[in-house]
Amino acid sequence: MMYLWIVLALLTAAVAVALLLPFARSASAAASGVSNARRSNSTRAGEVEVYRDQLREIDRDREGGLISTEEAENARAEVGRRLIAAAAENDQDNTGGFANRKHRIATALVTVVPPALGLCLYLSLGNPGIPDQPLQARLENPGNNIALLVTKVERHLAENPTDGAGWDILAPIYLRLDRAGDAELAYRNAIRFIGPSNARYSGLGETLVVANDGIVTEAARQAFEQAVKLDPADPRSRFYAALGLEQGGRKDEARAAFEELASATPADAPWKGLLDEHIVKNGGTPLAAKPAAPSLGGPTQEDVAAAQDLSQGDHKVMIAGMVDSLAAKLKDEPDNIEGWLRLVRSYAVLGDEAKARDALSTGLAQFPPDGNDGKRLLALGKDIGLDADASPAPGGARP
Amino acid sequence: MIVEIGHYALVLALATALIVSTLPMIGARRRDPAMMALATTGSLTLFALVVISFAALTWAYMVSDFSVKNVWENSHSMMPMLYKFSGVWGNHEGSMLLWLLILALFSALVAVFGGNLPDTLKANVLAVQAWISSAFLLFILLSSNPFLRLDPAPAEGQDLNPVLQDLGLAIHPPLLYLGYVGFSVCFSFAVAALIEGRIDAAWARWVRPWTLAAWTFLTAGIAMGSYWAYYELGWGGWWFWDPVENASFMPWLAGTAMLHSALVMEKREALKIWTVLLAIMTFSLSLLGTFLVRSGVLTSVHSFASDPTRGIFILCILAVFIGGAFSLFAWRAPSLKAGGLFAPISREGALVLNNLILTVATATVLTGTLYPLVLETLTGEKISVGAPFFNMTFGLLMLPLLIAVPFGPVLAWKRGDLLGALQRLYVFAGLSLAAGLAFAYFQGGGPVLSIFGLALGFWGMFGAIADLWYRGNFGKVGFATGLRRVRGLPRSAFGTALAHFGMGVTVLGIFAATTFGTETVVEMKQGQTAEAGGYSLTFDGFRDAVGPNYTESRGHFTARKGGAAVADVWSSKRLYTARRMPTTEAGILTFGLSQLYVSLGDPMDSGGIVVRIWWKPFILCIWGGCLIMMMGGFVSLSDRRLRVGAPAKRPKVVTPKGGLEPAE
Repeated sequence: MMYLWIVLALLTAAVAVALLLPFARSASAAASGVSNARRSNSTRAGEVEVYRDQLREIDRDREGGLISTEEAENARAEVGRRLIAAAAENDQDNTGGFANRKHRIATALVTVVPPALGLCLYLSLGNPGIPDQPLQARLENPGNNIALLVTKVERHLAENPTDGAGWDILAPIYLRLDRAGDAELAYRNAIRFIGPSNARYSGLGETLVVANDGIVTEAARQAFEQAVKLDPADPRSRFYAALGLEQGGRKDEARAAFEELASATPADAPWKGLLDEHIVKNGGTPLAAKPAAPSLGGPTQEDVAAAQDLSQGDHKVMIAGMVDSLAAKLKDEPDNIEGWLRLVRSYAVLGDEAKARDALSTGLAQFPPDGNDGKRLLALGKDIGLDADASPAPGGARP
Repeated sequence: MIVEIGHYALVLALATALIVSTLPMIGARRRDPAMMALATTGSLTLFALVVISFAALTWAYMVSDFSVKNVWENSHSMMPMLYKFSGVWGNHEGSMLLWLLILALFSALVAVFGGNLPDTLKANVLAVQAWISSAFLLFILLSSNPFLRLDPAPAEGQDLNPVLQDLGLAIHPPLLYLGYVGFSVCFSFAVAALIEGRIDAAWARWVRPWTLAAWTFLTAGIAMGSYWAYYELGWGGWWFWDPVENASFMPWLAGTAMLHSALVMEKREALKIWTVLLAIMTFSLSLLGTFLVRSGVLTSVHSFASDPTRGIFILCILAVFIGGAFSLFAWRAPSLKAGGLFAPISREGALVLNNLILTVATATVLTGTLYPLVLETLTGEKISVGAPFFNMTFGLLMLPLLIAVPFGPVLAWKRGDLLGALQRLYVFAGLSLAAGLAFAYFQGGGPVLSIFGLALGFWGMFGAIADLWYRGNFGKVGFATGLRRVRGLPRSAFGTALAHFGMGVTVLGIFAATTFGTETVVEMKQGQTAEAGGYSLTFDGFRDAVGPNYTESRGHFTARKGGAAVADVWSSKRLYTARRMPTTEAGILTFGLSQLYVSLGDPMDSGGIVVRIWWKPFILCIWGGCLIMMMGGFVSLSDRRLRVGAPAKRPKVVTPKGGLEPAE
């Protein structure tokens, strides 16, 4: 920022010097006694020259036979009159000459206006505090910026479009950023290039539901079906499959599906209440003892809202899945400091302090605390309120 | 830091422009050489500052600095470098900065090459230029600032409008602006002359190169815009009488008139007041065009994001400059001395006819452009004035002009001989008619009127040749002597002939393409064939492809003539991913001067796709003719007589930034 002000000051000075130049020249000319009268010739001299050239042109045209002698004579007379008039005025002008004055006000204006006006306007319009941010430099050091990380992966994928792992990382993030169209493409590419998995199919299904305003379309249903096939216990896919039945008006089948899912759900699961609601809506009674909230409003609208609620609540699950895959990757290839940093940060964001602590100590085992990378890990730990040396303690700072 | 330097340079430019717009004018009144010389250094400084500013913005685009709002709104990191570069002016703020850059460039050129001008005239001209610069600098800084920042910066830009992602964006706007803004110099000369209250033949000589340069660039810019619209928009048309097109066409018409009237003024010192009026009108029409396009009054691909405050701002600029200039004209024009006399039948008379028709044509286009706007404002009724209106009015007006063009150059100054001119030209007229008939015959016949149209095109071309023929006097002195005489002609004579010839070529292209062109709309499935212009076109199916920032579905066609494959062509439907915006890329096959134009329509339920196929015979003549006109402009511009006027045998005393060497 200091440099910026120096450059701006230099620029202002250069402009002032350039604008003062004519006055300096005139002053030095006056000092050395050169009369300005000599210059004043150019008032009419240019005009005289133009007419002389026209006369020469007429001669050329006549010699070339382009105009007749008579025409040439007429034209010569006409131009000649102009020439004489201009030359006469020229002489008259010369006798007057140019005034050679002092320029106190003018030089003051030229010196003061650029810096004063420039600074006032710039201070109100400019942002001297914001540095240049070329994208390439930002991508090399993206820090915590999700958008930049996404762009980085996107650029990688533009060059290696068959890298399924990249698509797999991007897909859930796209969904979280409300880019359902991109998320769908990413999920499909991930499935195409690294094969099906429960997480990918259920993510794809959810993406399709979000893209269709909460309606479980046929394509989404098929995706959930695949997901359940790969992991029969997956609550999310089973929920959406049941929701699809409900939206299709198949109340009994929907109720059965919701009840089956509820019976397999631990009582403290956050989506338990939602399941109970749907059971009630489809004419059943909740399995749990506590009474379900009465359902209000038209069923379709509520389904939509519910589906969206779930999809938002479920983002955490999605992120958790992503983070787990990162953890697995680091287990296989532990020599990746950025990976460890991200893993620790991700666990902290998810609120899983125990795992964050674990990841931090494992990372520190890989990168000793006295090394540069180890120090980064320690600093990160301090930032998010973890003490790496302390043994995992129950409770902690989390409310 | 670079971006902020650019911003600051722009602010300093405003301060400089304000100084240059006042002090030199006072200096000219007080005949104070130092204050007048300030105009020269000041204009050069102004140009340097605007260059710094423009370079800073360009840099931000090149490196995709999305902390600059303008870059974020109109660029994307995955765009090819060329489009990142041309994207600088592919938006409102950047295009205004380009406008300013070119304005400052012209001022700097006047400062450098104006050594032959009287000091007071030069100071006044540059001061008026600086008024315009100040107005646009204020406009840019206060309502269209391209240097606004975003903090935190987004990671990816919103992409450039896909229609603009084309080589055309790199060429069309700079050329058009060189034309539009070039006329500002003529305007400044006119206003300076009115302020000084003195105007003469020498003035016309000094203005001529600037008029010629602006006219040449505007011709090229309009032609380029027309060709771009033709291949990019996929409608197969090359001129739509769209208000935005008219906005650029009106200054061209008025500028063409000025080019010719300045000639009369230079040679005969006649039409002085009229020429000054034309100079003011031409730049006013440029400003009006800028207002129509930039204010959001019209919606088109040119209008970007519209903002009412901008519209009002430009309207104020418009009112001040046009109103001010016309008031000055009304006040000072009566005091100007009238010039030479001439008979109705003479070179001057022909040029007056040219001026008369061109200004009426300008008025017609202006009416057709503004009438719907005014009507909508007053009554809320939306009407569209389209091709039928313009073809009937403008087209009819052009007919006598096109017929008269070849007569102008063969008539003598002052008092001409129409009978003699007819005697000289009737052979060429006969040739034109024969050529038109032959042309129609080989194309398989056509309506009588279009044969006349084709002959008109040939008449323009042959008339230009006739001009050179009689100047060389080939008929009397023989070929060798004639050639020698033609070689001795000034370059501007060749410029005239080339420009008139090019106009004939364009007219020929217009009539040929509209008369003999065909349009076929068919639904095609893979393997099916359609006929157009003697070629059979087979649809071979689609292939998907991925571009840097778009995905596309490319339809492949094979053109065959007499069963043998002669060429293949792709027409595609693209989807630009960042803006989720679809575009259609037409496939164009060129055969000589004719083109086969294939554009994909909508897919049908039956599995086929609508395909539009145009056969456009001799369509390249339309733009080729404009290129020839442009060449004529440059040839004329290279005439050394335009540089004459620097005082000869004058010791170089303290003339700043040296004037040109005297030519003779």
